[in-house]
Amino acid sequence: MMPKIKSGIESLDQLIGGGLPENSMTLVYGPPKCGKSIFCYHFLNQAIIDDETSLYLMTDYNLAQLEETMMNFNWMIHEYFLNEQLYVLDTASGAIGATQKESDTHKISSPQNPTEIISKIIEDLQSIYQKTHQFRSILDSTTTLFSYNSPILVIRVLKSYTMRLKLAGGTSIITYTEGVVDSQIETLLKASVDNIVHLDGNEITIEAMMGLDKINADYDITDNGIIIL
Amino acid sequence: MKKTYIPRLDDILQGGVPLGKSMLFNAMPGLMSDVFGYQIIAERTQIDKEIGFIYTNTRTPAEIGRVFEKYGWDLKTPLEAGQIFFVDSISSMMGVPPIGKYVIDDFEKSRDIILSAIEDVAGGTAIIENVATLIDSIGEEKTLELIRIWNEAASEQNVNIVYLFTRWNYEDQMVDRLISLVNCEVKLFGIEEKVMYRQVFVVVKSSWGKTTECKTFFEVIEPSGVKVFIPKLLVTGPYNAGKTTFVHAIAQDAVSVERQAFEMFPTTVGLDIGHVDYKGFSADIFGTPGQDRFDLLLEPLARESIGAFIVIDSTKPETFTRAKEMINMCRAEAIPKVIVANKQDLEDALTPTEIKKRMALGENVQIIPVSADEKRGIDNALDALFDMIYRV
Repeated sequence: MMPKIKSGIESLDQLIGGGLPENSMTLVYGPPKCGKSIFCYHFLNQAIIDDETSLYLMTDYNLAQLEETMMNFNWMIHEYFLNEQLYVLDTASGAIGATQKESDTHKISSPQNPTEIISKIIEDLQSIYQKTHQFRSILDSTTTLFSYNSPILVIRVLKSYTMRLKLAGGTSIITYTEGVVDSQIETLLKASVDNIVHLDGNEITIEAMMGLDKINADYDITDNGIIIL
Repeated sequence: MKKTYIPRLDDILQGGVPLGKSMLFNAMPGLMSDVFGYQIIAERTQIDKEIGFIYTNTRTPAEIGRVFEKYGWDLKTPLEAGQIFFVDSISSMMGVPPIGKYVIDDFEKSRDIILSAIEDVAGGTAIIENVATLIDSIGEEKTLELIRIWNEAASEQNVNIVYLFTRWNYEDQMVDRLISLVNCEVKLFGIEEKVMYRQVFVVVKSSWGKTTECKTFFEVIEPSGVKVFIPKLLVTGPYNAGKTTFVHAIAQDAVSVERQAFEMFPTTVGLDIGHVDYKGFSADIFGTPGQDRFDLLLEPLARESIGAFIVIDSTKPETFTRAKEMINMCRAEAIPKVIVANKQDLEDALTPTEIKKRMALGENVQIIPVSADEKRGIDNALDALFDMIYRV
């Protein structure tokens, strides 16, 4: 049996044999507003339930906004962050030039400076690795990186990012908004991950996942998050 | 000669960089070559009253200002005095107001604008950040051609042009061509096992003076910038495995804190401390006591170390469990390590193959047969660990 990490969406975990393969990289993609970020929140919330460490690279919202949005689903991350179990790298604040004080678990970078992003990820991995060899990581969303950098550079950065996380033992998801880059780059993006999950607003498709055939199911976004119907 | 003001680098370059020469900082992803570039121009403008410019396509000038501030370098004064200026090739793309004598809103215009900037700083310094962004925006061929042209102009104008380059997964052939265009290449890389935990620079190429391939560990400190770091090597292992003898065999000047134990032979109750200079590599050695009441010392020492020798007594398989326990305890699994199978001069010593089997170690763990008493196998152990540390 391949070790699985719960996605945080119970009905999905039932569908895919317990969760996402441990120490793998999953791409969650689809059109805008299909629930990609909510997928990430589920994944983070499960880390809190399972008392695991997480590394969260956010490009479109800051920590306060994440906390607020997740609170709408009744998922509380405040204490989890204060316990230094959540490592945040925020490039959204960096993009607008907001100056914020950094700490060991709360770092700021800029979306157009991938060298610095990877450097800060490595700093975080150094501290995470001291504590645990099993953790979760989330990148929401690569779409912003694509809009600030040449697409081929982003693919290179994601390769480096994936390699670092896997070596350190992470189970990761990254999100991407369908159609933002041309199909050739999309193909490269898909080739650089292990599992692919597509959301279209109504239907979830497991396009690729180790040990599974392609799966389709309908889903709904409710006050409790994503529910497979 | 112009100094770089990077510690050790000027010594390695035999004083600094001659006028008009080009340099490339070739950094593995995750290493910040920009600090090197900023430090060079910051110190030169302050100490040597030089002129120069920073071309940027990754950080806005405002962000660069904050980085200077973090390291305690004055950017405001030379900026206001016109000693330094920006060539801003990022703000327009970010949608923020550009700051700089020159603004590039289209990469295609880079060639001529940078040529003008080079003329403006004749005899001074040019920092180009970041070559990777150029390559992925205008293509490899065009970028290489631009660098060739800029280097020519810089050489004519006696400008020291410094390229900062993050080496993502580019083809070796392209990188080789890039390197062939510059007078000097400084490689920045990380020492890593599962995570990167130490940074090293090495001068791989210099068209003036000889290169020694000397590896310098560094850390970046706020404030103050690039600082040299003297790495530590850890020597650990079970009680009476011969750690102290091993430390003295690799570091002739080693000092030990010992006292007569209840047993008939002296045992270490403090630390064995020494220094090793071996094949251009320099490190401090720390040997720990083996008794479990000293386990508290292990973790902080291991955290500071870049590699570990686990010394075991090859004649005492009953101590192997303790050796494995110590490996785990000192988190040596996250740093490169070799097992030193000591006391190979004794008749009942197990062979490395037998030890590997008994300890149930992974295939890639190296076990080096050694006799610390007879000083045999010492160089093999050093070679094995240094090879692992510098495996890049």
